[in-house]
Amino acid sequence: MINFRVIFNIVGFLLILDGIAMMLGIPFSVYFNDDDIFALLISGAGTAIFGFLLYYFTKGSDKEIRKREGYIVVSLGWIAMTIFGAIPFIVHGSIPNITDAFFETMSGFTTTGASILNDIESMPHGLLFWRSLTQWLGGMGFIVLSLAILPILGIGGMQLFVAEVPGPTKDKIHPRVRETAKRLWGIYVLFTFVEAVLLYVGGMEFFDSICHSLTTMATGGFSTKQSSIAHFNSPFIQYVIVIFMFMAGMNFSLHYYWLHRKIKPLSQNEEFRFYSLLIFGFAFLITLGLVVNSSTDLETTFRDSLFQVVSMITTTGFVTADYEMWGVFYHVIFFLLLFIGGSAGSTGGGIKVVRHLLLIKNSALELRRLIHPRAVIPVRFNKTTVHQEIVFNIMAFLLFYIAIFVFGTLVLSFIGLDFLTSMGAVATSLGNVGPAIATVGPVDNFAHIPAFAKWFLSFLMLMGRLELFTVLIIFSPSFWKK
Amino acid sequence: MKIIIAGVGDVGYHLAKQLSSEEHDISVIDIDEGHVEQVSARSDVMSFHGSSTSVRILKEAEVEHTDLVVAVTSVEAININTAILAKKLGAKKAVARVNSAEYVSEDNLEIFKSLGIDYLIYPEELAAIEIVKLIERSAATDIVEIEQGKLSIIGIKVDSKNPIVNMTMREIAEKYNTTSFRVTAIQRGFQTIIPSGDDTFRVNDQVFVITIPEGIEEIMKIIGKENVHIDNVMILGGGKIGKKAARLLEDKINVKLIESNTEKTVELADYLRKTLVIQGDGRDIDLLAQEAIIDMDAFVSVTADAETNIITCLMAKHLGVSKTIAQVDNVDYVPLTQTIGLDSLINKKLIAANIISRFIRRANVISAVTIPGIDADVLEYVVKPGSAITKKSVKNLKFPKGAIIAGFIRDEVGHITVGDTVFQSDDKVVVFALPDAISKVEDFFN
Repeated sequence: MINFRVIFNIVGFLLILDGIAMMLGIPFSVYFNDDDIFALLISGAGTAIFGFLLYYFTKGSDKEIRKREGYIVVSLGWIAMTIFGAIPFIVHGSIPNITDAFFETMSGFTTTGASILNDIESMPHGLLFWRSLTQWLGGMGFIVLSLAILPILGIGGMQLFVAEVPGPTKDKIHPRVRETAKRLWGIYVLFTFVEAVLLYVGGMEFFDSICHSLTTMATGGFSTKQSSIAHFNSPFIQYVIVIFMFMAGMNFSLHYYWLHRKIKPLSQNEEFRFYSLLIFGFAFLITLGLVVNSSTDLETTFRDSLFQVVSMITTTGFVTADYEMWGVFYHVIFFLLLFIGGSAGSTGGGIKVVRHLLLIKNSALELRRLIHPRAVIPVRFNKTTVHQEIVFNIMAFLLFYIAIFVFGTLVLSFIGLDFLTSMGAVATSLGNVGPAIATVGPVDNFAHIPAFAKWFLSFLMLMGRLELFTVLIIFSPSFWKK
Repeated sequence: MKIIIAGVGDVGYHLAKQLSSEEHDISVIDIDEGHVEQVSARSDVMSFHGSSTSVRILKEAEVEHTDLVVAVTSVEAININTAILAKKLGAKKAVARVNSAEYVSEDNLEIFKSLGIDYLIYPEELAAIEIVKLIERSAATDIVEIEQGKLSIIGIKVDSKNPIVNMTMREIAEKYNTTSFRVTAIQRGFQTIIPSGDDTFRVNDQVFVITIPEGIEEIMKIIGKENVHIDNVMILGGGKIGKKAARLLEDKINVKLIESNTEKTVELADYLRKTLVIQGDGRDIDLLAQEAIIDMDAFVSVTADAETNIITCLMAKHLGVSKTIAQVDNVDYVPLTQTIGLDSLINKKLIAANIISRFIRRANVISAVTIPGIDADVLEYVVKPGSAITKKSVKNLKFPKGAIIAGFIRDEVGHITVGDTVFQSDDKVVVFALPDAISKVEDFFN
């Protein structure tokens, strides 16, 4: 039997969190004298009270969370957070349409960063802050956050942790899940704070520096400006954001180790090396290609290339230059970058570098296995043998990923979007990136997409953020069999 | 507390599960991948796959910041090696499980101390000692001694002949007006009750009583169970526990030991002086009948297989043996076996875990004991000057419902708590507490 009591108990707790988070933007509204105070207050208080009632009436439940409960809690928790998170936009009226509000909020929580707003700067500050905060909460994951503050049984906590944290294997950095969650969030908060200070020093407004650091560390990509980071014509700001996007796309356990002066895991981590290689490889390639037939200076070209590459690979989606102006070759490159993703255990989305790395290794070894059919040739990663099951799991993941991408493209083209837009919109939603190609490129937005497609893409974002299995598993018949 | 457990076989797995649920930071190391996966899937621990004698793995598990290393793999040499290495690498304390009686003898302890091993556990020997205790006090189902027997906790099964059946606690207190013992817990089916004045005793209850040494005979009289003197015992299974128990008992009473493995029987016959060693299958009723099981006063089943032990003990009970003791290492079976009428259980894992819990530092707790089959823990606290517990007499303390202050040791003498008792600093207080009451109890001692 599935223990729905404990599921609703945790969802109730998440909604309390959701409601409180909504109201955090009110000071900005007061300061800037905006008209969204009432909307935030009523939605926040309403959500928190509803969450509290749900939490209160399911209290004292059997705290055992098995695998099934773990997957349902996480999927249901994310959907509930999104539904309630959309309310302030609707109540205030700045996004009157339910479809659009849901899309925008889901894009926020899943750190996709695809927006339907045509005029971001006209939004009141409290709502803009809430929009940035959704990304920050979704980045490290509010389930992980609740593990850190809610005394859930440790063993059940691990089931939740596994269902939310990205990557094929989940590393603990402390024997207890709760302490692991606390440390991860601690690092996250610290980096966000440092980035905000640096952006402020670099000349951003106080409000903008906070919002942008929230969405950078989450690899989200929501900006408070219509033209994204290009609005801030400051190399310093752009480099700061590049560095923090890069860090947010790294495995956070690596940050934990270097903060504890254990440099070794960093230099020996194969995923980190491959991640850096990909980023700098693509950045140099694009710089080289652009600098030959471009009038801008080398530094600007390099900065633009690096920024766009980091932004796409880490699945952030900030923009400082329109790569669609660079030529067809770069369309293809940036389309491909949508499929890379950050590192395991990062806030980034997508397929993840480690999965690519292991599959490349496995495929290369397959050639050797053909020559020596009886040889035992294991896949090795960070000097240890990777289990066959993990390789199979990654293959299944990739297959599902591609199948969903193909299916999604079919669906969008069926309802009338053009080929490139369909492909781009699906890839960017599934990978939680934000911008794509064609009519949903870096300087466009998703406002013109039909309503059905918005719901469909929202669902793909959720699937992508929870790495397919957590959501897919709920739709499998064996999940519901006793 | 940060603890490393090397080896998560039967004992290690139980320890990891128990200690991680008590909010300790547990890392486990095991060479068997299946073991590692099992333990990390079912308890909140950090796991390392590899040999616990590898310096690299010990360092990965941050042995230098570890308070306690418990080496409980099935291989003695690995355990000793692990403990020595861990201690040298900076662990504060190291405990190793061994398989030979020779190592744990008093004469050789110094050798291991000098190597850095703080304690050696030999669970099989501890189990054998417990069997001997249970046979000597045949009326008791469980015996736990606190501070070398200054206080004892005795478990007794209530049967229909008992004079106390259906009496309330208050009535018993009035009738027997004694200060030499106190009822501290009742196990009824799967439920553990910390009794208050209005609770009654029912048939088949298992009652836990704390007593000072002089009180033991008195309890037995009141409860209508005189110690049956045991002269003949049959032990099934010539493994380490059976062998040791036979050795400890054979000078005092007649012992028959049944073992199916022929080679082992030869070895046993050589080791044991007076015990009659019989080769045969203990599940064979004819064999048991032939060896006059009906004349036995006690039947001890300690084969490696818990199911065999339970079945043969039930059979012995059925044939009229008054005292049966079964080794049941599967913790999940423990509550079940007590409802179907087995007298006493021996659980190697709990015995080892109880020993190790001595090394676990909880605030103010100087020792903690788990009794098989009951939910309540027995905790021993030392009273700090000025703590809440010293402020009022026991009856005015408003002690939490799921806990009871059973007794205390003052100036090396055991006492039973009464309503008017007022604690002084440095008293050692024995508390029975259900798990959810422990945190409230702890407040009284801070």
